[in-house]
Amino acid sequence: MLTISIPSHLLRHRRATEICQCIFIFFWSADEPLDLSKLPAFLVEVLATVLLLLNIFHEIMGRGYIVQDDVEGYLSKLCEQKADPVTGLLIGQSSTQRDFVVMAIRTPQKEESAAAARNSVDKEWVTEHARQVSRMLPGGLSVVGVFIITDADAKDALTTLRQLLFAVENLISSEHLWDPADDDVTDCVTLHINPKTRKTVCRTFDIKDPKSVAKPADWKYQSGLCSSWATVSCSLNVDMLLPLPNNRTSTGNMEECLKEGLKAWAHQIESGLCLIDGKRLPEDSELTVGQRRNVRQTYTAQLLITTENKRLTDVIEQCGGSVSVTGAIHSRAYLHSNKPKARLAEKLLKRDVVSTVATRVQMMLEELLASDQESKGSCRDKQQKELFCLPHRIFCPLKVSGPLCVCDYQFSDEGLSEVTERLKEMLDIDAAEEDLDTRQEMTFEITGCDITPEPTQEKVEAPEHKKNYIGVAMATAVALLATAASMLYLNDI
Amino acid sequence: MLVRNVISRTFETLRSQVKSESCVLAVSDSPVIIWPNKDAYATPEEITPSTLCEDMHQWIQADEQESSGKKSSKKKSKKSSVASVINLRLMTEVTKPGPLSAPILTKTVLKSHFVSVTLPLDCVVCTGRSDTIKDACEQLIEALTHQLCEMEKVTLQNMKGMTLLVPEPVHFLLPEPKGLVTVVYPVGVPDSQLVAQRKELHQQFELPDDRPYFRRANAYHFPNEPYKDGYLRNPHLALTHPTLDNGKVYLVQGIYSYHHYMQDRVDDNGWGCAYRSLQTICSWFQQQGYVELPVPTHKEIQQALVDVGDKQASFVGSRQWIGSIEVQAVLSHLLGLTSKILFVSQGAELASKGRELANHFLTEGTPVMIGGGVLAHTILGVAWSETTGQIRYLILDPHYTGAEDLQVITDKGWCGWKGPDFWDQTAYYNLCLPQRPKVI
Repeated sequence: MLTISIPSHLLRHRRATEICQCIFIFFWSADEPLDLSKLPAFLVEVLATVLLLLNIFHEIMGRGYIVQDDVEGYLSKLCEQKADPVTGLLIGQSSTQRDFVVMAIRTPQKEESAAAARNSVDKEWVTEHARQVSRMLPGGLSVVGVFIITDADAKDALTTLRQLLFAVENLISSEHLWDPADDDVTDCVTLHINPKTRKTVCRTFDIKDPKSVAKPADWKYQSGLCSSWATVSCSLNVDMLLPLPNNRTSTGNMEECLKEGLKAWAHQIESGLCLIDGKRLPEDSELTVGQRRNVRQTYTAQLLITTENKRLTDVIEQCGGSVSVTGAIHSRAYLHSNKPKARLAEKLLKRDVVSTVATRVQMMLEELLASDQESKGSCRDKQQKELFCLPHRIFCPLKVSGPLCVCDYQFSDEGLSEVTERLKEMLDIDAAEEDLDTRQEMTFEITGCDITPEPTQEKVEAPEHKKNYIGVAMATAVALLATAASMLYLNDI
Repeated sequence: MLVRNVISRTFETLRSQVKSESCVLAVSDSPVIIWPNKDAYATPEEITPSTLCEDMHQWIQADEQESSGKKSSKKKSKKSSVASVINLRLMTEVTKPGPLSAPILTKTVLKSHFVSVTLPLDCVVCTGRSDTIKDACEQLIEALTHQLCEMEKVTLQNMKGMTLLVPEPVHFLLPEPKGLVTVVYPVGVPDSQLVAQRKELHQQFELPDDRPYFRRANAYHFPNEPYKDGYLRNPHLALTHPTLDNGKVYLVQGIYSYHHYMQDRVDDNGWGCAYRSLQTICSWFQQQGYVELPVPTHKEIQQALVDVGDKQASFVGSRQWIGSIEVQAVLSHLLGLTSKILFVSQGAELASKGRELANHFLTEGTPVMIGGGVLAHTILGVAWSETTGQIRYLILDPHYTGAEDLQVITDKGWCGWKGPDFWDQTAYYNLCLPQRPKVI
């Protein structure tokens, strides 16, 4: 029996599927091998040649985006609004295998905008919106592009889109605490819709290349896109201790120290070992091996870290105090359903871990700076200890069927209504308080007294000492414990 | 006082971390991960707490092994005595099942000192054939906890004001049945300042107090770590020793490096044999911890002889031979060692020196340089029968000009057992027998 398996990246191209469907009468799916034994040999040759040619054209033909069909309705409604232009963000996941868009979000209206300003695009406003939105996306979901609804000239629209796209993506990636990986997809999409003709023009740009030119791309709607996406999640302990410089303990200095400390911690997380469902999977293996298709899959991950192999400089220095971040966070990443690799799951989850902690710290610092904490805390000689609860993470499911959720952070003095308001304003989502998932993290109760973390004590029985060693010896080579625990405080006497 | 309390408390936290469920041991070069404090739960699932330690090898991807190591383990007789090493990394699991309390940011303003130290934990446990992973884990955790206590002691002992010395563990292989022992030393403190500590250790382990066991140079070299300098160590271990009627084998003790012609880009073919033998001897004293001086080059050897007045200044850079007397002089001047000279007027007499050589290897165990006729060699041991007088000599030949290939060196006899006819029967020979200093 002769079988050919068709590389999936070809089949996402509309023309390929059309041509193939012309040749063959029966319907087949991209993942199953094609049984060609029933066809005369020459047809097989023709098919092989066609696919070879398409492979060559693949690069020129560009990417293909598969879009949740709800987005079509959302964009249609925006077309019917009076405002012109309407800009917004496209949310989804880009991988080397496929590109998906799950959501579109219009840029919120600026309240004090003058009539004239309404007709132009405010680049800063769009990028700031993108930055806020990016914080509300769990791992696996990101801003993959921008759209504009305008009846302006297509060329002008494209120029505007290009500017917006680069500004948005550059701002978002500048806040990342991790280094870009070699297998990151750097193509992002721009969509121009003419509200009168409803004609859509879809292009991609490579944001790594400032001179990138527009490449054509396919935009195709599909229903039930996210129904079988996989979720990888974990709950992770954070325990960071950082010194504050002498005589400079203001919030601004704290911000600097925290940024540095977070970077070092992000490095540890990035180079840690990741276990999925208790197993260490080889990098190129698929996550969904052995699972039935179209069944919702959830995986639990474990992260193991070690202090870096190169010795950090051992240091004793005078300091003006310390700042610590301790507690636990819930982290989550979503993966598309088209045979995602274990490597991708690990990458997306680790990035979510780092960004959720960094986002909360950043939000806390913004609060402190805004509420004029500057005046306190600098130059005092007395010992001061201040505790700040970082906001905890709340998830809100998207209306599309499937496991996808967006998230928001709730400060301890906020109610759920503030969360739903933000979801509406930032993500244009109508969510009720009952829809929100608040069970993943709980607020720490501060009772005003010193909080010292309890070390877990385990009973260890004294083993018998075995002196004979014929056979196997086990050695623990250069084991380093987490630096957080090896830091000491020496008070000035 | 307050400072010491803080340090002690930190070590206490570290010890509880090691005993906690988030402590993880990851086997190097393999997908195996073990949670020692969760009853040795391991992944992949084929590994259970009752899996034997030696079965772990099938999970480890072997790297390309050193040619020397591989060859020696192929010989059947050697297999049982070669201990195999499994390396593990100590890691911390940062994920744990909920419920979780969201993080708190604590800011403390307090003038103080901040100390950040990476503690290089390094433990060894020896397990027997029938030991399971669970047994090994229990021993490892016990060893790690114990090492943290030792590190705490060393840190507190060596604290002066605001300076802190990092404790580092060193492994030593003591004579049977004591086996592998780990001692924590403060980094940066030279051996000369640690005499009191070594005296205590000698007493604790009931070791003779006239030879060193605990100097840093005596550190045990694990079989799976290649030497970085490229010299072969103890090539004689790859040989089968001769069996004589009522005879015994007396060998050099400890570790030496094989030095021979053409090494270090010095073309001393034809004149440097005694220099190479001297280098082999120096390497022995360095690796047994008696001296810290690196093995001297030809020029340094020649300069030493000029310095003691034995040679003219023009000697340095020349290709002149040296003999046993010069070797003795250099050992004395550069390394502070005394050596005995043994003289035989005819090579044939060497056959009768069995007792003396046997005694030397028993008590001193140092390599012997022998010069006579036109050749110099190193004697690493004798096989001698007191009753029959039969004798064989274990010779390390410095005239070898090839690469550090153990197979070639042993097959072609560059390191090999020779009979009494190896010597020029009519020439006279001088032997230099270096003596161990009586220090610890």
